Amino acid sequence: MLDASAATVIIDAAAGAIIVLGVVLAGTRSIGRAIWIVALQSALGGVAAIAVGLAADAGHLVFGGVLAASIKGIVVPLFLGAMLRRSTVRRERHLLLDRRLLLVAAVAIVFVAHAVADGNAATAGLGATRALPAAIAAVLTGLLVIMTRRKALSLIVGLLAFENGIALAAFALTYGMPLVVELGVIFDLLIAVVVAWVYAGRMLETMGGTSTDQLRGLRG
Amino acid sequence: MSELLVATTIGLPVLAGALAWFAPERRAAQLAMIAFALAALAGLALAVGAVVSGGSGAFGGTMRIDPLGAYVVLLVLVVSAIALAGSPAHIAHERHSGSLHERDAGRYYALLLWFIAGLTAVPMLDNLGLVWVAIEAATIVSALLVGFARTPAAIEAAWKYLILGSVGIGFALLGTLLLYASSVGALGETSDALNWTRLAAAAGQLDPALVRLAFIFALVGYGTKAGLAPFHTWLPDAHSQAPSPVSALLSGASLAVALYALARFHLVAVGAVGTTFSATLLVAFGLLSLAVALPFIVAQGDLKRLLAYSSIEHIGLATLALGFGGQLALVGRGLHLLTHGLTKATLFLAAGQLVAARRSRRIGRLGGSLAAMPADGRALLVGSLILGGLPPSGLFVAEIAILFGGVQQGWGWAAALAAVLLALTMAGFLFHVARVSFGPSTLRQPEPPARLRWALLLGLPLIAVIAAGLWTPEPLSVLFEQVARILGGGHG
Repeated sequence: MLDASAATVIIDAAAGAIIVLGVVLAGTRSIGRAIWIVALQSALGGVAAIAVGLAADAGHLVFGGVLAASIKGIVVPLFLGAMLRRSTVRRERHLLLDRRLLLVAAVAIVFVAHAVADGNAATAGLGATRALPAAIAAVLTGLLVIMTRRKALSLIVGLLAFENGIALAAFALTYGMPLVVELGVIFDLLIAVVVAWVYAGRMLETMGGTSTDQLRGLRG
Repeated sequence: MSELLVATTIGLPVLAGALAWFAPERRAAQLAMIAFALAALAGLALAVGAVVSGGSGAFGGTMRIDPLGAYVVLLVLVVSAIALAGSPAHIAHERHSGSLHERDAGRYYALLLWFIAGLTAVPMLDNLGLVWVAIEAATIVSALLVGFARTPAAIEAAWKYLILGSVGIGFALLGTLLLYASSVGALGETSDALNWTRLAAAAGQLDPALVRLAFIFALVGYGTKAGLAPFHTWLPDAHSQAPSPVSALLSGASLAVALYALARFHLVAVGAVGTTFSATLLVAFGLLSLAVALPFIVAQGDLKRLLAYSSIEHIGLATLALGFGGQLALVGRGLHLLTHGLTKATLFLAAGQLVAARRSRRIGRLGGSLAAMPADGRALLVGSLILGGLPPSGLFVAEIAILFGGVQQGWGWAAALAAVLLALTMAGFLFHVARVSFGPSTLRQPEPPARLRWALLLGLPLIAVIAAGLWTPEPLSVLFEQVARILGGGHG
């Protein structure tokens, strides 16, 4: 078992790293790098959950953390990596916002997240609530990535960052959802990525690329 | 609530789907029909049991069905039956035109069965976290159906549906999480603290600030899935590009299921922070959906998109009715969602045939449908008159009940605004349908006349909806009253 102060240190470090990774993710153009950034972010989220689980003696959190870290940190990135190797596009050429502006926006998000979370007197204990700003920041940077990218793979990466934020919020607010719910959520995420993988493949077949720029046929 | 019946309703279609995946076309269709018929019987038995007993649980409190859940199960089963019965004709046409491989037929039935199983599971789950899991699973499965045609447009629609749907429903997960957090003080960290039965019972002790926040996130998340404006942008694409039987299921059942999940949040919010907060939001977003659908219906050039925007309109009306509250509007809402589901499913099947024969969805190219394809043309015309809200039909009675119920509850201005928007939308909708229906046939080669089975498939649901305007069978009216009492805040 882990003592509470050590767990707090681990959570703080993981939360800080998750915030920094979110900002870096918002500013990166290389899709390959984005995949590994979000994989690292997912793994850190899992580590934070394991730390809280060990300190609070909550077996379901440890189990959920291990599962999240292995599926979102390893299995899903491998899938995305395979997709990237099939694709001809390796970089986001046209970000919807200028890169410097994106970094500024991401940093602004971090400050907003801290301001919002400070005013929230949700459940406390073990300092798990300290992870709440990081959770909000991850959710919002994920959304920022989804809104400013065009390539199919980048959108999936943004979706994963968004989901990392939600998972972090789950244990920051409530020590995690009931285990059966957590399992269901991870399972859904896994099949969503598989389906996205199928569709990215079909886009490649029928349109010769995975840029959603070509997806402009449906209007009105 | 018998566990065997639950397993049959949800488990059997899942298993049969796995077999159908590998089966040839004919065998897969037969398998799907038989499995669905058995599952539907079991589901019907569960629904009747819930109405008689007032609700019961199973599987250690994971699952529960009350009259509201029974109503949604019934809606899903009825619409699924129409969608499934309309599938062989669609598949045959796609195979004939060469756009579908032999092995794809089995996969189609497998995905359809899994989609139906996911939708049926939602109203039987007690745990709101698992409700989310089931809705997301149904979304992912249906994303594969939306893009089934593999054309660039279908892939685009499926992609938008998958990404926007997942982001949207992510917010609903946040909402679920916040509701859980609001309950930890009162219920502790037990796995049944997310059960709507326990949440509704303990609503007075929940943290009000967190409940408000939870409802807003649920509104955005499940509102996206239900097609409420302004989160509806994926809907016209997905519902128009999907194979027509799938469009029927998406518009007729899946929107109502998402709205059901939102209604559970609404009930907890009403118990925790009073009626005004969530009811006002529901009325606002309901009206906004009516207003947003109007211009897109008036200026629409694509028949299936026309039907899709009409779904946004009707789901807006159902949301409005939930916000109004009161027995009259809520009974009307019960009748409305059911008659809309039946009518819309039939319209999508008829429109699917018209579109397939002409190889075009453009309204301008579909003229003369009554002359060219009498069965489908008549179904489209009659169904559209019903959908527009003309008497006599169950949908007309339902709309009147909702609007008068709104006035009764002190929402006079909202009901008046809704009435104006509904009337304008009807005019736009019927104008387009008239263009499709009348005039000389534009078909190059005459289509063979529709088979009796197909004519019955289109005719029976419409006759049922018209009859419901004149007379509602006793069991149904009991069900509607019980559902309205639950949605009105009482328990049973």
